[in-house]
Formats: sequence, C-alpha cells, structure tokens
Amino acid sequence: MARVLTTCIYCGCGCGLYLESETCPERSRRDGMIVGSYPSRNHPVSKGALCVKGWNAYEFINKLDRLKAPLIKSNGGFEEVSWDIALEMVSRRLLKIKEKYGEEALGFLSSAKATNEENFLMMKLARAVFKTNNVDHCARLCHASTVVGLAATFGSGAMTNSINEFEDADLFLVTGSDTTEQHPLIGSRIINAVNDRGAGLIVVDPRKIELAKYATIYMAQDNGTDVAWINAMCNVIIKEGLYDKKYIEQRTENFEELKRTVEQYTPEYTEKITKIPRDLLVRAARLYAESKKAMIVYSMGITQHTTGVDNVKSLANLAMLTAHVGFASTGVNPLRGQNNVQGACDLGALPNVFSGYQQVTDDTARAKFEGMWKVKNLPSKPGLTVTEIFNEALKGNLKALYIMGENPVISDPDSNHIRKALEKLEFLAVNEIFLSDTAQYADVILPAGSFAEKDGTFTNTERRVERIRKAIEPVGQARPDWEILSEIARRCGYKGMDYSHPSQIMDEIAQLTPIYGGISYDRLDPFGLQWPCPSKEHPGTPYLHKDKFAKGKGSFLPCAYAAADELPDDEYNFVLSTGRIYWHWHTGTMSRRTSTLDREVPAGYVEINPKDAEKLKIKKGGRVKISSRRGEIETSAVVTEKVKEGSIFVPFHFSEAAANVLTNPAVDPVAKIPEYKVCAVKIEKI
Amino acid sequence: MKNEYVPHPAIIESFQSESFDTKTFKVVFEDKALADSFDYKPGQFVQVSLLGVGEAPISITSSPSQKGFLELTIRAVGKLTRTIHELEPADKIYIRGPYGNSFPFEEVAGKDLYFIAGGIGLPPLRSVITSVFDRRGDFGKIKILYGAKTPYELCFKEELQSWKRMADTEVLLTVDEPDEGWKGNVGVVTTLWDKTDMAASCGAAFVCGPPVMIRFVIEKLLNSGFEDENIYITLERYMKCGIGKCGHCNIGEKFVCTDGPVFTYSQLKKFPDKERAIA
Amino acid sequence: MKERLLKKDNVKALCVSASDQWETYVPLEGFGGDVQFTKLDNEKRELSLDKLNLNYEILTVPPKVTVFPQLESLFRFQDEKISETVKPKAPILLFGLRACDVKGILFTDDFFKRNFEDIYYLNRSMNKLLVIVGCKHPLENCFCTSTKTGPFLESGFDLQLVDIGNKCLVEIGSEKGQEFVSSYGKFFDEASKDDVECSKIAKRDAEEAVRLRLDFEEAIKKFCDDKVPREIYERIAERCIYCGGCLYVCPTCTCFNVFDDIKASSGGRYRNWDACVFAGYTREASGHNPRFEKWLRTSRRYEHKLKYDYLTTGTSGCVGCGRCLSSCPVNIGISQVIEEVSKR
Repeated sequence: MARVLTTCIYCGCGCGLYLESETCPERSRRDGMIVGSYPSRNHPVSKGALCVKGWNAYEFINKLDRLKAPLIKSNGGFEEVSWDIALEMVSRRLLKIKEKYGEEALGFLSSAKATNEENFLMMKLARAVFKTNNVDHCARLCHASTVVGLAATFGSGAMTNSINEFEDADLFLVTGSDTTEQHPLIGSRIINAVNDRGAGLIVVDPRKIELAKYATIYMAQDNGTDVAWINAMCNVIIKEGLYDKKYIEQRTENFEELKRTVEQYTPEYTEKITKIPRDLLVRAARLYAESKKAMIVYSMGITQHTTGVDNVKSLANLAMLTAHVGFASTGVNPLRGQNNVQGACDLGALPNVFSGYQQVTDDTARAKFEGMWKVKNLPSKPGLTVTEIFNEALKGNLKALYIMGENPVISDPDSNHIRKALEKLEFLAVNEIFLSDTAQYADVILPAGSFAEKDGTFTNTERRVERIRKAIEPVGQARPDWEILSEIARRCGYKGMDYSHPSQIMDEIAQLTPIYGGISYDRLDPFGLQWPCPSKEHPGTPYLHKDKFAKGKGSFLPCAYAAADELPDDEYNFVLSTGRIYWHWHTGTMSRRTSTLDREVPAGYVEINPKDAEKLKIKKGGRVKISSRRGEIETSAVVTEKVKEGSIFVPFHFSEAAANVLTNPAVDPVAKIPEYKVCAVKIEKI
Repeated sequence: MKNEYVPHPAIIESFQSESFDTKTFKVVFEDKALADSFDYKPGQFVQVSLLGVGEAPISITSSPSQKGFLELTIRAVGKLTRTIHELEPADKIYIRGPYGNSFPFEEVAGKDLYFIAGGIGLPPLRSVITSVFDRRGDFGKIKILYGAKTPYELCFKEELQSWKRMADTEVLLTVDEPDEGWKGNVGVVTTLWDKTDMAASCGAAFVCGPPVMIRFVIEKLLNSGFEDENIYITLERYMKCGIGKCGHCNIGEKFVCTDGPVFTYSQLKKFPDKERAIA
Repeated sequence: MKERLLKKDNVKALCVSASDQWETYVPLEGFGGDVQFTKLDNEKRELSLDKLNLNYEILTVPPKVTVFPQLESLFRFQDEKISETVKPKAPILLFGLRACDVKGILFTDDFFKRNFEDIYYLNRSMNKLLVIVGCKHPLENCFCTSTKTGPFLESGFDLQLVDIGNKCLVEIGSEKGQEFVSSYGKFFDEASKDDVECSKIAKRDAEEAVRLRLDFEEAIKKFCDDKVPREIYERIAERCIYCGGCLYVCPTCTCFNVFDDIKASSGGRYRNWDACVFAGYTREASGHNPRFEKWLRTSRRYEHKLKYDYLTTGTSGCVGCGRCLSSCPVNIGISQVIEEVSKR
C-alpha cells in the first residue's frame, strides 16, 4: 500500500487529493491498482472535501480496457505492435509528410488534461522539430475568448483572483457558469458565502441553474445577448454616477469610448434584446456597483459564442468601471474547465505564442527560444487553431495530425465534419488512455499513462501550479506522454528533448517563461505556487493587477451587441444550448467508466420545457429526435422548468447521443472559438 | 468462514417464454453435489449473475420439492437481464444463495389461503403455491387471483389451468386489455373481489406485484376482514449483496434481503410512510 | 484496569519492534500537515517513523479504510474460472487511534459479523490490536462527550494511552492488550500513583476541552419518536451538493456498490464505497426509485445513524468525530441536525 498527494484530474478547481495504491501479489509490477482517492485536509482548495468525481477518481484508472500496448490500424481493426515499430512509424510518417507537403501540412493537438511539462514538449516538438506553429488544444473550444479578451483589456488572460477569496466576497455576479455542476468546490464557496455570510448573488443565465435558487437577483437572458445586458449595466452605472472616477482616471484608458458606446443600451432598449425585465437590470447594476468586494464569475456561457471575445471584454469593462479589479475578493474570474487547460495555455500549446504568452511574431522571443532549444528559424507566422485545423484537413491542405489526450469527435462542433476531416487525413497518430471515438480513426495509437502514473504539474484555474505525483507504474506497456514525445523527437533527429525526469523539463520552462520563472519542483511542496512567480524567492501571486494592470493601464474596449450566428427560424424553431453536468466529465471517457457516476446518469438526455413538451406530446423519459443543419441525434427527454420555452439543453458527455452532432461550427473571428451555446434545431417525438 | 459473495456456475437446461419480455429458465448447478444438495424455502431468492456483466436478485419460482434444478422467471428490464435473455440452453449462468426469509408454512397451516398476484408478481408466489399443493391436506380453501396487462402476459398459462383442477381451489384471472379470445374478467386484480367470496374468516393472504397494486389489494383485504398479521407481502428493492451488507435494500432498520422479502402487513405498517414500504 | 507507562522516547522503537510481528498502522504526517494512518513498510519503517505524529488533529478518512478499503476486488475470473481475492488473515496493530474512531471500528466489526459474515472485512479485521492515543486537543467540530464516545473510552480497546507530558499512561483494556505489553515488556515501565493521578487530570482536561456540547440523548429520543420535521431534511437536501463525502468519511458507514469489469474473457467483480444520498442508490432496473426525492435521501442519511442504528444495536451510529462537517464543501454536519432537533 502506498499513498501519494496529487491533484485531481477532473476540473479546474485543482483539489489536492491522495491516491492510494496497492500492488497485489497476483498482479505484476506493471499492474498496480489504485484503490482509493480522498481529499487533502490542508490543501487550500479542497480543505478536506472533494466532489463526487474526485472521491471516485480511483476507479477509471484500473479499468481493464485501458490501452496497454501500441496499436496500428490493420484490416479494419487494430493490431498490437512494439513501441519501436509504433514510434518509428509516427516519426517517419510525420517527417515524410513534412518533406512532401511542407510543415504547414502538419497539425499538433496538445492536451488540457496532460501536464505542463507535456504541453511544453508538444509545442516544442511542433516548433523546434517540425518547424510549424500549427499547435493548439481544446482551450480553443472553451476559454480562447478569455485569453484574447482579458489580454486585450488587462494584459493578462487569466483568472484575476483566487478561489479562497470567494470566501470573503460581498457579491458574486455569476454568468454563463453552472458553478455547482462544473466547479463544485467553487460553487460551494459561493453557496456558503451567500447563506452563511449574507453575500449577494446575481445569476445571469438563460437556464435556471442550481445556483439561481440562492440568487438575490436572477436574470434569464436570451442565449447570446450578453454584450447587451452587460452594456446595460454599464449604462446604468454611468448614468447614476456609481462608477469609480479616481480608479478610472488613474488606472484605465478609453473611458470616453465606453461611455459613448453604452449610451444606447438603456434598460428599456436592452429589455427588448435580452428579455430581461428592465428593473432587474437596474437593480443588478446598482448592486454590483455598490458592493465593495464584488467578483465576476464566468465560464462557457460567456466564452462559447461568435461574440465570445466581445462578451469577455464587456465583463472586463464592467469590472474596471467599478474598481473591481486589483483587490482581494474582486476581479474577473474565468473558471477554467479542465484540470490543466490553464497550464496548456501558459505553456504555449497555442498557435500564436510560446510559453508565457510570448508572441511567435516577436523576434526577441524567437531568438530566446532558438538559443535554448538549439535550433534556427523557429516559425514566425501564427499557425492554425483547432477549428481551422479540421477545416484545412477537410479541404485536403492539412495531411497529418498528432493528437494527445483529446477527443475532437465528441468535443468539437459539427461532429460529422470532424469525422470526415479525420478520414481525409493521410496520417493520424493519437496518444490515449482509452480507445476513444477519435482514436478509432488513428493509424497509430500510443498508450499513455494516466495522471496516476507519472510526475508532473497541473495549473488550476487560480493559476496554482501544483504537483501530480506518480502512484503506480504505467499499466501494461503504457508510457507517460512526456516520454513518448521525447522519443518521437529523438527519432526525428532532434537532440534537445533528453530528459530523465519531468522536473528537468520544468527547469527549462522556468528559464524561458517569466511567469513561471521561480517555479521548480523543490518549491512546489506541499501545495504549489500561483503564478506570476518570476523568481526563486517570489512567493507567488494570489491576485493580479494590484496597483497596476499587467499591461500598465487597463483598456476599456467597448463592444456593440451582435446576434448569434444561427438563430431559430420556421424550420429549426428551437434554440439549442449545450453544456456539462456534475456527474460526468466532458467526453465521458473517464467518468462513464466510473460505476457511481455511470449509475447516476447512465445515458444522454435533453432538457425541454414542460409547455413545449406538452405541445409536442413529449413525455418524461420519452424518446425524441433532435435535428440541426449539421446532423441529428436520438435521445430521451427530461421535462423541466430549468430551460426557457423555445430552448433545449443537451449535455455533451454521451457519445451515443452526441450534442456536437448538432452544434454550429461558426466561430468568433479573433478567438476562433465555436458557438456551442446557440444554434437552431428542431425536435420531435419518436 | 464461507465466502458468500462467490457464485456457483449453473447450466441453462431450457427456457420457456412467458410473455414478450419474460422467460422462465430451468437451470442446474454444474457441480452435481451442489445440484443435489441445494435446498431452499418457498419465497427465497438467489443472486443471479453473468461474469463481467452484473448481478441481480431473482425469486426462485420452482418448489423445493422439485429437486435437482431451479426455475427462475426473469424479466428483461436492465443490462443484466437483457443479456440473460440472449442465452441459449447449455450456456452458463452464475448463482449464489438462497437468501431471504420465506413464506411461513407453519403459521398458516389449516387456514384458507388466498394468493393475489399482478404481472411478474406470480413467479415468487408459484413456489409457495406448488409447495402448498404438495401438502394439499394441510390447508383449507385456496383462491388464486391473478391479473396481467394482456392475456399474453399471464405467466404460467398451462399451470394456471392445472391449478384450477386441484381440490377446493379457485383460480380467477383478469386482464387490463383483453384480446379477441379472452372470455374472462377485464379490469385490475381488485375487480376480482366481485367474482368470488373474499370474506376471510380464517384466511391468510399472500400478495406480490407492482407497488401500486399492492396498496390497493391491501385495502381490499383489510376491508374483507383479513388480519394485519395474516397478510403477507413480498417486497422488491434494488439489491447488490443479498446478505444485508451493501445497504441498498434498506427500509427503516430492516433489509429486504435478510428481514424480507416477505413481510406481514403488521410489520410494514410500522415503517413511516416515507419509507414507501407500501408504494 | 491495569496500568503501565510508556515513555514517548520509546514509542518509535516499540513500533519498529511490533512491526516484525504485526502489520502496523500508525499516524504519519505527510504533505502540508495531513496526517494519515499508514502501514509501516518493513524496509522503510525507521525513516517513516520520523514522521510519526500522535498529536494529530484528525485523520481525514477514518481507520475503517484499513479493514474496509475504498475499492477491493471480490474475485477475479478467467475463462469462466473464478479465483477469490480474499486477503489472508494477518494480525494488524492499529496504533494511535482516537477513541471515536475505535468506537467506529467496533461498530463496523459488529455490522460485518451480523447475520452473514463478510469474509473480506473479517479476514482483515478479526485479529487486531486497538491502541488508543486519547485526544488532547479536540477540534471545534468534535462532540464526542455528547455521544459518549471519547475523548477516552472505558472499554472496547486493547490499550489506551493517556498523554501526561513526556510519557503516556498505558491503560490495559483486554487480555490481548496485556499479552502485548508482556511481549514488548522492555518498552514499558511501571506506572506510579502520580502517573495515574496525572492521567486522570489529563483525561478531565481533554473532556473539558471539547467545546461543542449537544443534547444527544434528547435528539435520539426525538428521532426514535419520529418527531423530526420534514422541513429540516428538505432544507439540507437543497443545500447538499451530493458529493457523498460525509458518508465516505464516516467511521460507521459501510454501504458499498458492486460492479464487474471484463476484457475478452478475463475480469473481476469489485466492491467500492457507496453513499445513500445518491439517487441511483435505490433506483431499480425498471427506473422506479422509492427515494427519488432529495429530502427522502437526506432523511435516510440521518435516520440511519440516529434512529435505525440505535434500534438495531442499542447504540447510535454517530461517534461524534465531526468529520462529516469537516469534509462537507457546503458546511453541513450531523452536529447541526442533532442540535436543531434536540432544541425544537
């Protein structure tokens, strides 16, 4: 029996938990079992608690259908081969395709579930070895708007404050975040603050989420109308003189433009767009402005729109207007979904930046990386994003893709389009722990170690860089992703990925990445450090933009409201929104293999309003067909008041009733994030 | 110490379709010694599983006097039972048990016996009925009231006819939705009260069926003069271990798997309403 | 009760020596001050014992995990041949338990023996030595004096250590305890009358240090008389986030789920901790769920501990350890329910 302190694999809360392992006498050393997971009592986020997923994180690791040997496609199925053959195949094919079509024909998808070190290596592989900036990961699908929007307004695209600061806040403005479902340990802090300390709560969400029952003010806007209601709040705050003149003068620029833009967004005008009653808008504006420690909390409901960047900028404007940035228990707090999506972004698994958000177009930055990596001519043009990669693949321009720990067939919009794109590729290699829907398309599958089988670090949503620790040897012949990536680099003739332990990778990261400058494994015990941590003595940073913004002065970047790309019409007369639920996680590869979670919600469903259900003669549990211009799915109905009339909601975890078969691949023009939250569908009883 | 959790392999000898989603399987333990020695009481159940799929409690529908095999009536309603329905004779199935309490023969000796069942509720009672007919002289009048949704869904159609021919025995059937050939009663089981004398001067009633049916039948029985302690009900709950450990089948301070599944109405009355002991 | 003395300096050496014969579990401090009950690895035991911490606040998961793990396999199968995976009996020494946790283990021992014997639990648990190191500093969530389960016990232990400075008074509570003290006699000294007096003072101090005081008996009475208003359960059911944590960490919770895993023709049947607050806990294959409503599950959760355990065993299922409250993300604990019910 052994026990290690590690970080939970599920959401961006990054709870500290212990994994208990057992080597059974009848199982080999490479067949250790994880027999328990329980909370760390002193960890700043978990504080002795976990959500149901964390409490059951031990189970999926041991499942017998873990990928245990390298596989190559053969005769309509897969054949086991040696690592030698598999790795040779991957490196050879990628090099050949680069030779034949150029480096722009290659794409690399990194993983928001893999460690910081592994994300760093993936982008290093793409850039130093294959000389392409076509590296991206699923942040494109979730918080790409945040990275762009907050970088533009504040100079830094990360959550401004910390999770424990929720415990002292006076007011929360929660929008587009089903916090109790998606970030339970943060949602719980909101519940406690509201119930035990009398904190105020404004919830703005088209769906009546659980948190709404505690709300001081609940506003149900129409999907995709966020710029309007946020501008309306600014309008009221300016009109009633509730803004902080001194703060605006000293710390921001461009206020006049904001004032001009929001002038037309009066509560009356905005009510027409958003359907939010005007007096609620006024009350919410006053409550937010007058609360001293007010925190904006948001997630996919704000970011996953064709106007995602505008939505984020508008929230930033609202916060700056009322001096709610740069102090404890305030700020603009995007809740990062995956356990390490923050880290994957920080470590440069993005087409336009190296680690630390240093631009690939910046000559000095390139020179620094070229020096450290001992290569010349790192690519200087920003590469393709995830959404563009699949478009180019379908067009036949992108020929090869190397995917690590991602499942685009279920997670990306317009699944049929993704499937066709994958089929069109000349070569697809995948690092995975289970045979996912995406892995089915691979030419080579490399079995990867789970989070329990390697050392490394994750960065949670509050910028906390914390350790994961190896509890058991990788099962079967699996290897940690960092070893796999290093091997491929080596076989491609590159000598700069010769590491014996992830801590060495972190040392290299620290030298190249100012915000991680002071991070090293010996400093991360026991519970990590929050970046920016620029030097070895720096204690880490709980909240950002203290005294001044990361870019100096914060910029008001006002936006005009624009409707979503595809709204209901006569044929497709319902609005579809997609999202997540508490019991499952993203594409379900781990949570659906966990008995307690699977028992709670064994199959997909659609939420439909009782009045709509009655009109369409749909009963609770009845089978329905939902169709959009992209495709159709069959699923079971849950009749609930949670969704507005004319709207339905489908959680995207279930591959047999995959929400993304229906979703619209239209993207935000700058962030390239898909509009998962709004598209037009029709629904009928079967 | 015996390991209660390890099941024993049994072979499916044959099966019979009772209705579109219900089959009665005849199974024999692979180990001959076990097959010969396996003993149980009417009303008990076994835990039936398929390795790699799961396990579920199934009442034994054959009578203990029928040695060497077990009959299990299984309705395909979940993953395990649907997989069992795909099995053929000579396929293997895993069984452990018997568990649960049983129908109390000693207490009801000499009494008139009334068996009231709905749909899939007849199989557990069949074990008792067959055992009762084995010792016909020990008991008084016998009435069997049984209802199903449609005539096709009545279980043990042939046996029902043979029961009709037993001494001093009445079998009354009813369906909710008759077909063309149906000449019997139409309506829920409680409508059969009008077709026979249900006054229970010295009778014991055995009830098994869907929760809603149980509630209405009990009402009728009480109105007909049955005593609380002479009404026996078989309860159903989600079970995993069958031996009072996993907790899932708990009602109040009792476990359906060890203190039940047979309870008297006087016992069930003691549970607070919210335990839904009776629908 | 017979007494001996154990100098604190001798504790580590005693553990090292005992671990030759017993599978020894001791509280070791790990990262960031988290103390966990850990099995001493014979090779690394001296090193591990540097982290021994008998003054710990509380173990996050109770010692029940040593005899009832979160996940264990019941049997494996290969080509339809079943092989059991019952852990062979071995003597285990649980050194450094708190009184409340010992009460918990005695409770679960009784449960797994009742009716049918659970071989998986009993093989791990049947041959064990329970050594209490009594609490000196109860936490704010502790209420063991109200449940009469601590900070020290009158019986049920093999040895009970009372901290009296640089030494502990050792109370011998059973024959097994006596045997242990005799076998390892070189680590124990005679206890003087002074030592015994000091231990009485230490015990009294510990008792007085328990700040949370509840009218536990009154609450039990109200639970048994069904005088708990539904509104309390509804309120808790609404706030609860259904993590299962309060039940996972409870020393007397024993519910588990059973599931199979298979690949090709080989696999296993396993059991893992379950919690009655989940909807799927009572949902039948047909979809029917007798405890569909949240408040019914909350009422089950509390009534099991405070009414039904009492009716079945004569003692309630709550040992006053306060873990449910410590591990609840939304600050719900059984102590609050007990307090509210006893006062209404």
